[in-house]
Amino acid sequence: MACPITATANSNSKSKQTLISPSEIQSEFSHHDPTVARVNNGSFGCCPASIIAAQHRHQLLFLRQPDHFYYNTLKPSILQTRLLIQNLINADHVDEVSIVDNATTAAAIVLQHAARAFTSSAFQPGDAVILLHYAYGAVKKSVHAYISRTGGHVIEVHLPFPVKSSSEIVSEFEKALRLGKANGRKIRLAIIDHITSMPCVIIPIIELVKMCRDEGVDRIFVDGAHAIGNVEIDVKSIGADFYTSNMHKWLFCPPSAAFLYCKMSDELSDLHHPVVSHEYGNGLAMESSWTGTRDNSAQLVLPEVMEFLNRFEGGLQGIMTRNHENVVEMAQMLVEAWGTELGAPPELCSSMAMVGMPACLGIKSGSDGLRLRKHLRECFKVEVPIYYREPLEGEVDPITGYARISHQVYNVAGDYCRLRDAVNTLVKEGLTCALLLK
Amino acid sequence: MAALEDPRPAVNGAAPHVSKKPKLSFITESELRDEFAHHQPGIARLNNGSFGSCPASIIAAQRRWQFRFLRQPDDFFFNQLQPQIIQSRTVIKDLINADHVDEVAIVDNATTAAAIVLQHVGWAFAEGRFQKGDAVVMLHCAFQAVKKSIEAYVTRAGGSVIVVHLPFPVSSNEEIIAEFRKGLARGKANGKKVRLAIIDHITSMPCVVIPACELVRICREEGVERVFVDAAHAIGNIHVDVKDIGADFYVSNLHKWFFCPPSVAFLYCRKSPVSPDLHHPVVSHEYGNGLAIESAWIGTRDYSSQLVIPEVLEFTRRFEGGLEGIRNRNHDKVVEMAQMLAKAWGTNLGSPPEMCPSMAMIGLPSKLGVLSDDDALKLRSHLRDHFLVEVPIHCEVPRDGETGAMDADGCMTGYVRISHQVYNILDEYIRLRDAIIQLAQNGVTWKTLQS
Repeated sequence: MACPITATANSNSKSKQTLISPSEIQSEFSHHDPTVARVNNGSFGCCPASIIAAQHRHQLLFLRQPDHFYYNTLKPSILQTRLLIQNLINADHVDEVSIVDNATTAAAIVLQHAARAFTSSAFQPGDAVILLHYAYGAVKKSVHAYISRTGGHVIEVHLPFPVKSSSEIVSEFEKALRLGKANGRKIRLAIIDHITSMPCVIIPIIELVKMCRDEGVDRIFVDGAHAIGNVEIDVKSIGADFYTSNMHKWLFCPPSAAFLYCKMSDELSDLHHPVVSHEYGNGLAMESSWTGTRDNSAQLVLPEVMEFLNRFEGGLQGIMTRNHENVVEMAQMLVEAWGTELGAPPELCSSMAMVGMPACLGIKSGSDGLRLRKHLRECFKVEVPIYYREPLEGEVDPITGYARISHQVYNVAGDYCRLRDAVNTLVKEGLTCALLLK
Repeated sequence: MAALEDPRPAVNGAAPHVSKKPKLSFITESELRDEFAHHQPGIARLNNGSFGSCPASIIAAQRRWQFRFLRQPDDFFFNQLQPQIIQSRTVIKDLINADHVDEVAIVDNATTAAAIVLQHVGWAFAEGRFQKGDAVVMLHCAFQAVKKSIEAYVTRAGGSVIVVHLPFPVSSNEEIIAEFRKGLARGKANGKKVRLAIIDHITSMPCVVIPACELVRICREEGVERVFVDAAHAIGNIHVDVKDIGADFYVSNLHKWFFCPPSVAFLYCRKSPVSPDLHHPVVSHEYGNGLAIESAWIGTRDYSSQLVIPEVLEFTRRFEGGLEGIRNRNHDKVVEMAQMLAKAWGTNLGSPPEMCPSMAMIGLPSKLGVLSDDDALKLRSHLRDHFLVEVPIHCEVPRDGETGAMDADGCMTGYVRISHQVYNILDEYIRLRDAIIQLAQNGVTWKTLQS
């Protein structure tokens, strides 16, 4: 694997001699368990030591004199974060950017808003919300809790996996949208992942949003939980009404912080944070900035994160490009070693890739996947999430399990070699998931 | 900050555990100072009530938990988080005398707990279990966030609100009980069905201990369906026994008076047929598994402040008499300081000592002319910026037809709320005393100082 820092000319004039070195990177992540092959940045992200230290400084500022912090420091600090995000995602107004705890919270905000529309009869019973079958578990539950409960009809769009190209995704979505609108049903909200979680694939979001607009979908919410720091985000190009992403996954923030972008519209004033404080009615951004006494420190370190990013060649763009290239290289190494295949072509992989696992492992259910994951964690100290894919009828020797590998700046080739070797060992030993049950 | 150690575990896999060695002696003065050495020196910090405080050893414990997550988050999520939250919930259950640990959910703060209870009410209106016009009762001095939550979830859904005005200054529990009874009866006058009463255990501003047991009993007598006690200030401040109090829902913040880092609270929900219907508004994959389980996972978060509760209990045991000893001494001290201030200013306490917790309301000299909430806030900023004294100020304008409490120069409309926590010292209250005396000198109101 190529050394992550290459000596090419870069546009950042002052930083040539301050580029972070590989040993400095290891130092920044020395709090990671050194015995673990940590190839799952996608689930919980990571946070460099210098950002943790910055977070602690902000926390101590509050503890030092909380009243002063509350009255004089907190709001301007959150505004700084929002301005940085506005810039990163190309939003028009900072009012459109709210900082919330995580994408799960953002989903609750958007869906509670839709629930109100149903209960106030602005939406009719049977009006639909459309989402991907691969939508994140919490989002599906939130749809159940807020939409099904208030009489909305839920349409799940099944996307192919493995997938060969975005056009497969586009055509499946189009079919589902048409079907959904059959009999004049009104689609009030579309929830579309920018990068699905499991299985992990980049969705052609610009086309899908446009399609939704063309088909008269009222509002579109893009769940970009994995997106920031992973793929480029331009909310104006994407054109959705709501867009959320977690900053603690791929943007080096400590747990936890996320943004929810809400395109300016008349409806914007009626979006509320479910935890109501004295800021109620002052706009979602204000409401989100105070939900009772909290530790807001994770939301305040973005300026320090920007500095951290600039220590890398090409800044955030450079990090994203190299992560993607490295994960694809590692994924191809694994499929070759295991005799399997990728779940999606490289152009649909972000900084994560779905790697088919040997069929002989006998992954026959989601629980099998979890068990195998646990076994890899406990016996090989390899941390990787495993996706179970139900085989189609008639498939011979199907690949039913896929490892979702991530690459972040702290990863080294050895992490993936350990995964490769662990699985090869299991195959050699004739281990199957059925045997793990015993 | 000598007390803050490197939180990273020295040995791979070493588990931070609660010290089991026998206690030889209680915490010393200098250890106590070290524990709060991160507080800004030079500030007379008389406002523990607003944001609480957290000792250095607990901050260090929190960081150890934070690093355990950061070290291997998947392992932490799958193997450590849930059992540890159950441990915290169990400590709380014992502290508050709840019957079942299922009744104890850990949430971010009392504001979140209010949203949980009120969203539940909102659903009842939306789904026709409650009718338009059914009422929710609140005290007029309820915390602003709670008032807004009522607006967002009750008023908006068609419910009505009965506001019960409590007297202040106040001389006895009997006054409060009588006013509450009257207010409730008045509100129910048109045969309104009262679905929920929200009663503070300790009101925030002005700060008074409410006879919660009696008020809950009155609610039951008057046919109020459910009672929610907002005890944001209570735990670590006064004795809490949820069975005694008898409410359906009871919330208290643990970061105010129970030494937890920001932020963490518990919401107690007595087992009842509606328990399965209570939900956290942030829905995760745990939806439907009960409020406590739902609250234990609301997406990726830093749950470390919720995990130090066992360590905090140990911390309180370093004090003579443990938590109860701390409470009693805080109360005695704050009353002593309050009486010192009232005497120096020629004013009165807003309530008798037995109705003060670890906080007390003392009338400001009337000549200071605090006549509005805005005045109060400005005076507070002035004290912070010019005298390095942090103390919240309440404005109580007498209601129509009432004369209000008087000092030698007129009507007392401004009150300070002083707190006493283990880190406070006499000098801080003397500085407040002298700052106010200086401002009140020569009949100058602080307002003329401003212009």
